[in-house]
Amino acid sequence: MTDVTPGKLVTRGTYQHNLVGIAVTLAGLVALVALMLPFRSHLSIAIPALVLVVPALVGAVISGFPAGAVGTVAGFLAYDWFFLPPYNTLTVRSPQNWIALAVYAVVVLIVAQLVSKLRGAREEALRRTEESERLFELSKALIGDLTLSQLLTHIVGTVQSVFMPRWTALVLPDANPEASGSGEALQVAASAGQAMNDDDLASVTSGGGQARSLGLVDDRAPRRVSVALVVSLRPVGILVLQDVQLAERERSLLGTFANQAALAVDRAQLRDQALRARLLEEVDRWRRALMGAASHDLRTPLASIKTAVSSLRQDHTRLGSEDRAELLELIELQSDRLARLLTNLLDMTRIESGALELRPTAVAFDELVAEAMASLGGIVAPGRIMVDEPQGLPLLLLDHVLMSQVLANVLENAERLSPDDSVIRVAARTAPGSAATRVEISVTDDGPGIARQDRERVFDMFSQNGGGGRAGLGLAIAKAFVEAHGGLIWIDPDVERGARVVFTVPCDTLVTAPA
Amino acid sequence: MPKVLVVDDDPSLLKALRIGLTARGDEVLTAHSGVDAVNQVALAGPDLVILDLGLPDLDGLEVCRRIREFSGVPIVVLSAYGDERRKVEALDSGADDFVTKPFGMAELEARLRVALRHAAARQGDGPEHTTDIDVGDLHVDLVHHMATLSGAQLQLTAKEFELLAYLARHAGKVCTHHMILKDVWGPGYGAESNYVRVYTHRLRKKMGDEEGRVLKTVPGIGYQLVPGDHPPAPNE
Repeated sequence: MTDVTPGKLVTRGTYQHNLVGIAVTLAGLVALVALMLPFRSHLSIAIPALVLVVPALVGAVISGFPAGAVGTVAGFLAYDWFFLPPYNTLTVRSPQNWIALAVYAVVVLIVAQLVSKLRGAREEALRRTEESERLFELSKALIGDLTLSQLLTHIVGTVQSVFMPRWTALVLPDANPEASGSGEALQVAASAGQAMNDDDLASVTSGGGQARSLGLVDDRAPRRVSVALVVSLRPVGILVLQDVQLAERERSLLGTFANQAALAVDRAQLRDQALRARLLEEVDRWRRALMGAASHDLRTPLASIKTAVSSLRQDHTRLGSEDRAELLELIELQSDRLARLLTNLLDMTRIESGALELRPTAVAFDELVAEAMASLGGIVAPGRIMVDEPQGLPLLLLDHVLMSQVLANVLENAERLSPDDSVIRVAARTAPGSAATRVEISVTDDGPGIARQDRERVFDMFSQNGGGGRAGLGLAIAKAFVEAHGGLIWIDPDVERGARVVFTVPCDTLVTAPA
Repeated sequence: MPKVLVVDDDPSLLKALRIGLTARGDEVLTAHSGVDAVNQVALAGPDLVILDLGLPDLDGLEVCRRIREFSGVPIVVLSAYGDERRKVEALDSGADDFVTKPFGMAELEARLRVALRHAAARQGDGPEHTTDIDVGDLHVDLVHHMATLSGAQLQLTAKEFELLAYLARHAGKVCTHHMILKDVWGPGYGAESNYVRVYTHRLRKKMGDEEGRVLKTVPGIGYQLVPGDHPPAPNE
């Protein structure tokens, strides 16, 4: 917002201004008289007359005709008293001097009149410039990409600084009156100036306000001016100015303000609505993706459980005891998988709703691995895991519940992608270049690896290739949890075979794990 | 002992199916990927393929098409619930039947039995050169355009006979509306599934099969001609 000089558009304090002009005029007059007085007998009577024109004109330039007139009268008297013989009386003896006196008075009055008119024209031009500047200032807000609330603040701020009421308020129809529960159709959306008290608020928003407020001046509150903001005959809101008296010119300026503000508010409201719709759409898309991913991930273990159970029920006579044991084990593992998926989903919704709170504690790396293995149940056989922990690794500083989920998800993914009984390597090291504030954990499998173009996508919940064969929710959730810890997760591009998932976690910079 | 190839990327489902089908007396082969599946069909020559539509490398539909380029082996597709469009696409791509996950072994076995039986019936002289088709008690004489049910002749219009002959030629296979319209009505048709509905209704009436036990409706997909004595377990 540009700097707005205090003071009303139309020169407030004209009275004061005139006094200044008159004071300057009289001071000048006194000075000049004092200057000329010692030499008065040597001067021609025309000289003082010409010299004494000056203060009257200066006065007229400074504050217009009144000062000029005062200057004229004072000059007239001073001229007569001090410079026209006989001195120190108002008596004029010579007819010649009468003429000099009359010419002085006429000339000064006419010139003062002209000067003050010029001055008025200049003031008018200034005022017009100022008006167009104000309008320009407001219209900048129309073009600018302000949000609705920024725009409203801008409007009341501008009006407040230009018209200087006690306060300015912008009243808008309540966007959702049911939700606010107040039953009132109007609410103050923005205000400026002095704080509004409860009575002000009530009187501004009280019912039946529509018709009353459409008029420029409010009968019930004489020192209040209300202007309706209307766009194509549809009221957008009401601009209310308290304790202000407006000249005709200011009213029309306020009207123009109001029209522009109405358009801007209308536009901003439409844009807000569009934004909100897009946001809802985005949330909806996210939900659908989550639902799709979740139902796919839940169905996969369910399919093998049902197949195994129905086999057991149907073919119990033909199944060998070894087969039966294998099917039962499968059912147990897949049930674990289902349970883990549900835990993951629950955590995911907690992240989304913002209810997730990190509870960092110091954990040793091998404890984290053990916790992840425990949460995997029997999905990954402990014999397949090879842990590589260097000496002197610092303690990890993290929410071990969440981070063990991350490790478990990554391990589960590795298990799924690699041949049975192949080794899965879990390693940790101080992250290079991190000034020892982070530890890098990597999980390397022996599977076919992840294609270059899929290395980003595997962490994306929306990823889906050709209707199937998706990475599942596990890695997407891992990513969310790692990022909640301020870390990163990626697929290492520099492995010769298999896939290596790497993620960083915060660590305790002071304490190292006992060797 | 039929040789069954099971294609799925979920190892635990493969395992459950391997155990279940082996117990039933099948010889079970497994494949984790689409490419592996196509190779195994070519090399091992299975009698039946159970194919999951969601595979990591190739789309299941593409696997169907590639197998159909060189083999008529019956394909039963495993699909996710609610994936009607892909089911229809798979059937149009040459699959014989589908089972929706999760499924019980009884349902799967019924489907496999139907698919195997009719594949066996179709073998020998190819379907194009067959003159007579038997589906259960139904006999279709393609040369004389006559059909009998348990020896009694059915009075059919030309179009009704064509529809019945088409379904009989593909007995055991789920025929989509689209396939039926294109092959029976002509290439210009494809979306007018109400035609098929009207004619199947008339056929059922003439065959005394109002409940649709022989000429089975597969909801949202199409029709399947199955012998009345062993109807597969109801789908979905």
